Amino acid sequence: MLRLEATDIYAGYGKIEVLHGASIRAAAGEIICIIGPNGSGKSTLLKTVFGLIKPTRGTVSFDGRDISRLDPEQKVPLGIAFIPQGRNVFPSLTVRENLEMGGTVLGSEKAVRLAIEEAVETYPLLKRKIRDRAGNLSGGEKQILSLARADMIKPGLILMDEPSIGLSPKMIDEVYLKIQEINRRGTTFAIVEQNARKALSIAHRGYVLDLGQTRLEDTGAGLLDNEEVKKLYLGG
Amino acid sequence: MDSISYYLQTVLNGILAGCIYALFAMGLTLIYGVLNFVNFAHGELIMWGAYFLFLFMGEPFGLPLYAAIFPALALTGCLGLAMDYSVFRPIRRANRLTLLIAAMGLSVFLRNAAQFFWGAEVRTYGLEVTAGMRFFGLYITAPQMAIIAVTLLCVAAVYLLFFKSRLGKSMRALSDNLDLARISGIDTKRAILAAWVISAVLAAVGGILLALDTNLSPEMGVINLIKAFAATLIGGVGNLWGALLGGMLIGLAENLGVLFISPGYKDAVAFVIMVIILLARPYVIIGERSD
Repeated sequence: MLRLEATDIYAGYGKIEVLHGASIRAAAGEIICIIGPNGSGKSTLLKTVFGLIKPTRGTVSFDGRDISRLDPEQKVPLGIAFIPQGRNVFPSLTVRENLEMGGTVLGSEKAVRLAIEEAVETYPLLKRKIRDRAGNLSGGEKQILSLARADMIKPGLILMDEPSIGLSPKMIDEVYLKIQEINRRGTTFAIVEQNARKALSIAHRGYVLDLGQTRLEDTGAGLLDNEEVKKLYLGG
Repeated sequence: MDSISYYLQTVLNGILAGCIYALFAMGLTLIYGVLNFVNFAHGELIMWGAYFLFLFMGEPFGLPLYAAIFPALALTGCLGLAMDYSVFRPIRRANRLTLLIAAMGLSVFLRNAAQFFWGAEVRTYGLEVTAGMRFFGLYITAPQMAIIAVTLLCVAAVYLLFFKSRLGKSMRALSDNLDLARISGIDTKRAILAAWVISAVLAAVGGILLALDTNLSPEMGVINLIKAFAATLIGGVGNLWGALLGGMLIGLAENLGVLFISPGYKDAVAFVIMVIILLARPYVIIGERSD
């Protein structure tokens, strides 16, 4: 049974259809990465999996359960977290309050407190800034905070949209190290990324999306070696 | 009265007015932050809150002031919920201009409804007027002391709610970024309902304090809404402490202004402040810019 299976997805915004039969899947513990040119529907695919957009056709299943019609609010308690591109922290809330919000579905105050204690151990950077307003953090710190916020509920699947956008190379490395660290504990990742080389280098498997359809599927290393992919997405 | 205590009395009057405006502005900015539109019917929550107290103090209830306050606040909270349910929820995703016009229409309707039930004339709660007290040459009446005490209480309650409770924090999160709040699994529908209740109760508390100090009329909401709106603009959208500060500033500016201009132009002070801010940041009403 696969952790995530999105099959033959058709979806879009109003009358404009963006995805015309895209499919991805991820086994438990995998990192998969979705690359493709601008406008290929990468972000739309991620949003459809999370339920921000409802597919007009096709199914999304999580651990064998059909979740195609569920709202995001119903998916979070199942253990699915989504980290959107940019603007992914609550700027006027403190770092601690951001983590608390991530733990909303944990229920009791005590469970939230314990999860925060664990988070500050895992993310020492946040420990030093726990009382700071998230809006005052650097871009990289915000990205780490958004990871920690998603990780509060120890989700089975984290969907991440463009984690490297706007970050320095050093910070990108740090974010990806954290992704691998969380992954080693068993969390599956589906990452959409412009920075194809970086994402493929850590991904177990990758997909190339083009014009709303899945064009290629291979291991991360396999796609990095693929001549066509090299030419089109990795800058030769 | 010597001149120093005259100035001090003016400052005190400014603080008293500021307290009331701050209560109105905090409720207005809360809805502005959470739902991203200016509720121009907020003034009617102020007015209906005051009239609900009038209702429970009069026949057939005849409750004493301290007992009538609770059902009055509860009913105003319900009115806030009813406003959302009947008018604003169906057009939640409409643009801000639509919301603005809907709020104005609702405001006219509620004002006329109050006039229908209680008439257009100015009323009072009919409480016995007690002599004021003197402190260091300053004159303060019992309702005015209540204004200061109750405002402090409300500010403390707002602090505890929004910075210590999870429901309050989730409302601030919603105000920061609605989509991210949903994504995080926050029950946004519940947070929005809570915001309406708190906004309406703050309006009612302010309206009642104002009516205790002065009087009630169906028009009392409109002018105070403008003051609260100006205070909200000063404080920045959705910023509770900014609204508190803005309310105080408007109250003080109005009353200190009387030292220089005729009291007949008192209301103009808030308008001038508002016009200046809107000239600098016109997008706050129509909402072209996302901030």
